[in-house]
Amino acid sequence: MGSGDIITPLVMGILLGGLYALIALGLSMVFGVMRLINLAHGDLVILGSYGGYALMTLLGLDPIVGLVISIPLMFLLGFAIQKYLMGRAFGISSEAPLIIAFGISLVLQNANQILWTPLSRALNTSYSNLSFSIGLRQFPLTYLLDFTAGIIVMLALRAFLIHTYLGKAITAASQDKKAAQLMGINTKRVYGYAFAIAMISAAIAGVFLGMTFPFTPTSGVSFLTIAFGTVIIGGLGSMLGTFIGGIILGIVQTLGGYFFGPASQMLIVYVIVLVVLAIRPQGLFGR
Amino acid sequence: MKLKATRSKLTLIPLAALILVLALLPLIGAPQSWLLYAFLFFIYLAMANMWNLLAGYSGLISLCQPAFLGLAGYTLAIGTWVGLPWWAGLLGGATVAALFALLISVPVFRLSGIYFAIGTLVVPEALRMVFYLWRPVGGQMQGAGAGYMIKGTGGVSTHLIYWLAFVLGIGSIFLMKRVLKSKLGLGLAAIRDNERTAASCGVSVFKLKLYTFIIAALVTGLSGAVYYLYQGYIEPSATFNVRWTMTLLLATVIGGIRTEEGPFIGTIVVVFLYFLLARYAGYSLLIQGMILIGLMLLSPQGIVGMLRRSRYYRYLAQCVST
Repeated sequence: MGSGDIITPLVMGILLGGLYALIALGLSMVFGVMRLINLAHGDLVILGSYGGYALMTLLGLDPIVGLVISIPLMFLLGFAIQKYLMGRAFGISSEAPLIIAFGISLVLQNANQILWTPLSRALNTSYSNLSFSIGLRQFPLTYLLDFTAGIIVMLALRAFLIHTYLGKAITAASQDKKAAQLMGINTKRVYGYAFAIAMISAAIAGVFLGMTFPFTPTSGVSFLTIAFGTVIIGGLGSMLGTFIGGIILGIVQTLGGYFFGPASQMLIVYVIVLVVLAIRPQGLFGR
Repeated sequence: MKLKATRSKLTLIPLAALILVLALLPLIGAPQSWLLYAFLFFIYLAMANMWNLLAGYSGLISLCQPAFLGLAGYTLAIGTWVGLPWWAGLLGGATVAALFALLISVPVFRLSGIYFAIGTLVVPEALRMVFYLWRPVGGQMQGAGAGYMIKGTGGVSTHLIYWLAFVLGIGSIFLMKRVLKSKLGLGLAAIRDNERTAASCGVSVFKLKLYTFIIAALVTGLSGAVYYLYQGYIEPSATFNVRWTMTLLLATVIGGIRTEEGPFIGTIVVVFLYFLLARYAGYSLLIQGMILIGLMLLSPQGIVGMLRRSRYYRYLAQCVST
């Protein structure tokens, strides 16, 4: 990116931010509704990447088409995790859900490692290496796909939360659990759906992540940190805030790389996250 | 009463014998692999005890322990490169870890509960990047990051390093007992029961939490430095790695969080599984993850919680504590 031109890293940052937002939306949703930091979110996203990889190598499906199969599976898995593990953990103690999430992360990472070996994989498609141009500048097509997917999923989640009964129930349960229960909302089921929907976004994020970057069974941790950064900057629970947070983080990363060299770009991201945490723990757009 | 006292002393004998055997392990010609596992046990035990002090007793779910042990390890390594003796490196490492805890307490102590956990999770990630880029002493950067041999440890026998770990591991148990009985421990108990009431009764919540954070950083740092003294090599990606956090969390939670004996029992399980499944690294962690989830749902107080339901264990615990 050292072409001496600031527009290129800026556009790359915005597009990359769409991917970060896509990864962070599920985390933001689960946190907003259940006050749970899902430490397994990064690994669930990577599970989505491996799902795409499996469908691509075994059935020869395009990863995006493969989502038709992987989304229902991830939805069920999410519902089951919430019903049988997380839901029970909430009754035990405040740190129990966090520890269970940690356990899920361990299981997923190592199951992936056993199934797929620690080798780095990628979702290579016929359009992986294509590019598009704005003016004279060339950009990878996958980045544009990431951004588009990020916007679509964000708008879909927002519309779902605002306009459907279930979405309204989820919002109600996140604002005041007891009041929601008094209004006849089955909060346990609502939590199940919220987690399952977060898993759908994880499945989608996993596929687009896999098309953009190579991944290994342990990649989840670094993407979890990025998702945290996104959610912290954007404010937890707000879908639009999360999206803007992703864009900011993407721009910080690419501009950091532009000014200080590509090696230090992630360090700058982490420093910004810590600074935002120290100054505004509720996020730039949080209430 | 007297009979009970002598009987409790009798039950202490096997425990004392076990400690003695562990202390003499290098001298009685135990196989190298046993020494390694006992060494790991002591290091993990000291660190898990400190994590229990933070997460179990002070409500600080710290996910930045790798930062402390890594900084101490790097202080030791860099110290040996500029000609410091190794023991000064150990002490310097512990000091650097404690100072770093003081430094990051400025941003992270503004956060509470879950936000504290998120904030601390970012710290080791940032440090890993720092050590990828920054090579403080010695030669050209090769590949990614500042990997260092720990120099001039030829004179340090592995037996001595083993005994250092032994003292740290056993010492951390007594330190926990001491801290929990002190004014600090009583204050922490008050905060845990009800933070607002404690604060209004004159308990300085911020100060007490800061003290525990620094104590935990100091001991974790010292253990980390001893670990790297043994390993003889340090590099950023394995050092500032979430795997350390996982090990400490597993040891504490499997044994029983917020119990004094929990980390001891949990560390035995973790090291034993590590030993048993040494050839299948992935399976070992997979099984530990499943144990973690299952145990948390069935017995949130870990193995200790299960054991406490048996009368014999309660009797034994009573004997040890008197």
